[in-house]
Amino acid sequence: MGFTSSCNNKPGESHAASIKFDQYFVKGELLYTAKCSNCHQKNGTGLGRVYPPLDKSDFVDNRLQDVLCLMRNGIKGELMVNGQAFNQAMPPPLLTDLEIAELSTYLYNHWGRQKGIIQVSEVSLRMIDCKQDSVR
Amino acid sequence: MLLWLCALVAIAGMLDGCKKESEPPLPIYGEREVVGKDTVYHKIADFKFLDQDSAQISNATFNGKIYVADFFFTSCRTICPIMKTQMLRVYDSIQNKPDVLLLSHTIDPEYDTVGLLHDYAERLGVTSAKWHFVTGNKDDIYKIAQTSYFSTALEDKSNTDGFIHSGAFLLIDKQRRIRGKYDGTKEEDVNRLLADIQRLENEHLVN
Repeated sequence: MGFTSSCNNKPGESHAASIKFDQYFVKGELLYTAKCSNCHQKNGTGLGRVYPPLDKSDFVDNRLQDVLCLMRNGIKGELMVNGQAFNQAMPPPLLTDLEIAELSTYLYNHWGRQKGIIQVSEVSLRMIDCKQDSVR
Repeated sequence: MLLWLCALVAIAGMLDGCKKESEPPLPIYGEREVVGKDTVYHKIADFKFLDQDSAQISNATFNGKIYVADFFFTSCRTICPIMKTQMLRVYDSIQNKPDVLLLSHTIDPEYDTVGLLHDYAERLGVTSAKWHFVTGNKDDIYKIAQTSYFSTALEDKSNTDGFIHSGAFLLIDKQRRIRGKYDGTKEEDVNRLLADIQRLENEHLVN
């Protein structure tokens, strides 16, 4: 499974917060395997210029808000990742707010990223503004 | 001394030949019919499709070649991504094998036009001469899938992707016979395919 737990906690954070992070991360990993790994691969490398990588991705790094939206609505149309153009429609995963919080916690605390937990409240707020099927 | 060296080389040569011949030949799939003294095996039927370069692809394209065939479609989200990842492994392994080619048929020719297949193949970073992505008449494709390659391919609106199809990779020899069937979604099965491609090449060397 391979994840760090308490290393991600800021000093002073409670034990409960640490457990919550772990729970989100583990659930997120399960969601990734079930919903994302098929195309993006288990190790996040993607497939050629058909499915973009997630392990090393400037899109993931810089566009958290768009990533949260596409975990609900999917995405269509050309987009740039690491200087390469991708144009394969991603079907809507239709995940719940909680699932998006869990999956993004996994994504943003894996493959060299260490963002800390992504809360459901942040996801719910973002979902209000998400456009269908495309980036803002 | 020279005589002794020659004998050694001769023995080594014999041993090498023995090793190749002791490998059991791959099975031949499908029905067979004994006609007089000959056995007639199941063969891939004649076909005519268009590949990603708009080139006409038929059995002639594969004369004297070994090839691996599968059935997929570009908008497929279920088994095709894994199949393509695995087929890329096969593609990489046959780069230095001029006698081995790949043939992927789309089972959604309405959506998967020549242009789209061209874009798709380009995005995978593959050469058309080595890996043909073909489209054509839908009935012809479905018929050859089912009756020649024994691979399921059906339209099914109730399915998530809209199609039911098998993730099988079929290994075809130089005489258009099926010599192996592999689950293209399983890495271990594709490992077996890679080994069998080599075995088939060896077989063709001896015969």
